[in-house]
Amino acid sequence: MPIYLFILRRVLVTIPLLLGITLVSFLIANAIPADPINANLPQSQLNNEELVAAFRAEWGLDKPPVEQYFTYLNNLLHGNLGRSIKTRQPIAEDIARFLPATIELATVATVFGVTIGVTFGIVSAVWHKRPIDYAVRVLGLVGVSIPVFVLALIGLTVFHAQLGWVAGPGRLGARTPDPPLVTGLLVIDSLISGQWNTLRDAVSRLILPGMVLALYIAGLISRITRSSMLEVLGLDYMRTARSKGLRERWIILRHGLSNAMIPVVTVIGLSYGSLLAGAVLTESIFAWPGIGRYMFRASTSQDFPAIMGVSLLIALIYVVVNLIVDILYYFLDPRIRAT
Amino acid sequence: MRRFLLLIVILLFGVGVFGLSAQEERVLVVGHAESTDSLDPAHGYTQTTGIINRVTYETLVTFPDADASAIVPQLAADWTVSEDGLSYTFNLNTAATFANGDPLTADDVVFTFNRLKYVQGTPSFLAANIASVTADDADTVTVVLATPDPAFLANLAANPFAITNDAQVTENGGSAAEDAVTTDTAEAFLNGTSAGTGPYVLESWEPQVETVLVRNANYWGEAPYFDRIIITNIPEAATQKVALESGEIDIALDLTSDQLSTMGDNADVTVATTPGNIVHFLLMNNDPELGGPVSDPLVQLAIRYALDYEGYKALWGGITPASPLAIGQLSAYGEDQAFVRDLDQARALLAEAGYADGFEITLSYPIFTFQGVNMETNAQKIQADLAEVGIIVTLNPGELQVSLEEYRTGQQGFAYWFWGPDFLDPIDVLSFLPSGKVGGERANWTDENADQAIIDLRDQAAVESDPEARVALFQQIQDYLRESGPWAAFLQPNVQTAFRSDLQGYTWHPQWLINLALLSRVE
Repeated sequence: MPIYLFILRRVLVTIPLLLGITLVSFLIANAIPADPINANLPQSQLNNEELVAAFRAEWGLDKPPVEQYFTYLNNLLHGNLGRSIKTRQPIAEDIARFLPATIELATVATVFGVTIGVTFGIVSAVWHKRPIDYAVRVLGLVGVSIPVFVLALIGLTVFHAQLGWVAGPGRLGARTPDPPLVTGLLVIDSLISGQWNTLRDAVSRLILPGMVLALYIAGLISRITRSSMLEVLGLDYMRTARSKGLRERWIILRHGLSNAMIPVVTVIGLSYGSLLAGAVLTESIFAWPGIGRYMFRASTSQDFPAIMGVSLLIALIYVVVNLIVDILYYFLDPRIRAT
Repeated sequence: MRRFLLLIVILLFGVGVFGLSAQEERVLVVGHAESTDSLDPAHGYTQTTGIINRVTYETLVTFPDADASAIVPQLAADWTVSEDGLSYTFNLNTAATFANGDPLTADDVVFTFNRLKYVQGTPSFLAANIASVTADDADTVTVVLATPDPAFLANLAANPFAITNDAQVTENGGSAAEDAVTTDTAEAFLNGTSAGTGPYVLESWEPQVETVLVRNANYWGEAPYFDRIIITNIPEAATQKVALESGEIDIALDLTSDQLSTMGDNADVTVATTPGNIVHFLLMNNDPELGGPVSDPLVQLAIRYALDYEGYKALWGGITPASPLAIGQLSAYGEDQAFVRDLDQARALLAEAGYADGFEITLSYPIFTFQGVNMETNAQKIQADLAEVGIIVTLNPGELQVSLEEYRTGQQGFAYWFWGPDFLDPIDVLSFLPSGKVGGERANWTDENADQAIIDLRDQAAVESDPEARVALFQQIQDYLRESGPWAAFLQPNVQTAFRSDLQGYTWHPQWLINLALLSRVE
């Protein structure tokens, strides 16, 4: 099957999936036994029936839920996510403002996490049941078990406040000039504008939160890599490769790792998705203005349009990440190409 | 590949050296957990809005830099109040100009007050009692109230009454008409531009990220020290602490007391301590059914003598208030008028009341720590203090909401609570007098069982608007509360803020918390 047909088929499958997600998030948002009027209108307007009615009409809250849902779908089809009750901005604009921060952080964390995780996994599998295997596995367990906020605070205190190796919280220091907005990704934008100080600051501020999130996913990835590698290393073609006299490094990386990667790629995809979906705690501690914090604020103020918008975004992120994972399978596993 | 990596490293860490050199600009970086959705004075009513608008706008009258002990002029040069306390006439300060160069006129005041009233934003209730605002001439404005309100001037010092530029706001969708709630669209404009007369102007506000203020080049008053103030949003207090210690921020506004207590040995950081405006007190219910022995005025006075005031100060820092009226407010007695522990006097009073051998009583209080003061600890100290005069106290801690409910419905006989003023005018203390919100409803001190003297004082203080007469009245009320009434106010704890040691001019204020324009750097 050619690649474009494969992708097309996958994309078509996602449409009913997204529809289902809009329905579920709409139902959950409406099931909350609280009136958004109370969360969003000032006290002085709550007693004014006209104003309350106007508010309900403005946000479509006066219509029956079924009609509300279809109005929402209709707007969605026209590319309109609605306006946030809290920030009074179009949701799409809000997301565009907060998502790049999260993408930047999640990407860096995933790169760190995959590098550490896959390396640890290979080491662990190759030196199976040797001391280094145990050491690496304990490290992995520690990475998975320590709460992110503990790691984050210890990291900030030690590496920023005491040692001064990395810059502090936030995406940029208050004194660092912002690069002109192009992509919203500060590293890219400062490269484009050639603001080297800004670039250095932005990179320095990514390291610590990136590492904190990376340690968590590295633990998962190293364990999957290890077990998958162990399985592959025992297979017949590995022995064949060795008997051909290939170099050990080549055997492990080319014959072993590339065949062991399929389950690993799945975990990487899922981790990346979950990081993009917002690492609320990490974003909070590192004063990182990302989508996780936006979603937290939206939920606490019962900002239905924003909650729906972000839910949809998260679903979409998972769908896209899964699609990419499937495409990677296509290249990793010739058997998928054949069917 | 290695060469490529090396190149990146050089790019990232090397080139910066040749980048921007030392900045001439004086920049202040403030770490703050942002809590606002609006910088429009008629809409925003949160701590963050107050801190920012304190330096981008000004009000007709204001408080002194450090407390609320007086009403002082700001945009109004002087004012007069009519005999009936209904009509306030302000002569504007003719030197005042807006940041865009426009002179301040009476029309701006009319516009501001009407817009606040009709836009029906969160703080609009403050203007509800205004019947009319009229410009008598370009520099004189008269406000007529619907009912007399001696606290009106204190309310005018609040940030929602910040005077906005009529022409500029109207041009950008503002309306002060009666239908402003639906027709005014200036909030978005005011979230990006400050239309005020303050020492700073709003350069940008990126919600949840940072707010940038720059010096108002047209400021009519004394220019502030810093050219630029950046208020960076750091939601976590623990992160603020780290950022302050590393010098990323100059001042941290939201640290908790346990974090501050660990910063003492860091020479780069100064922790400033000021008495706050929260008063901790004992409630002794006047209803004998509920209060038992503590409903007896002699016992109430004995308990005031029995408390170890210095001990509470040693525990938490702070001052001893003379009554439930917090020190720092207009007419409030200072610490020199406060009670001093006198166990002999306490025992004599108890004997006189017929309790020479003491009595047993239950003390109710919530399990709660407010601004770092743990009420459980204080309750145990109250127990120990009173044991010395033979009063055996059984502690009855309650879950906050449950205990609060009992307190608010007046079911607690002997209780420990605290009070933060709703607004910074001594009239707030009338809540503690007979039939007041706290006095009547919670301590059963009513017009039926109270002395006529205090009832008369209360009724006069509620309507008197002459400043000197007010001070005299509130001092008489405090004199009365010293000897009588169901209260033993025992502590006004400190509030603390931490900043870099090279920062000076920090002053805590009960209304706006901090005036950023007063800060400067030691050079």
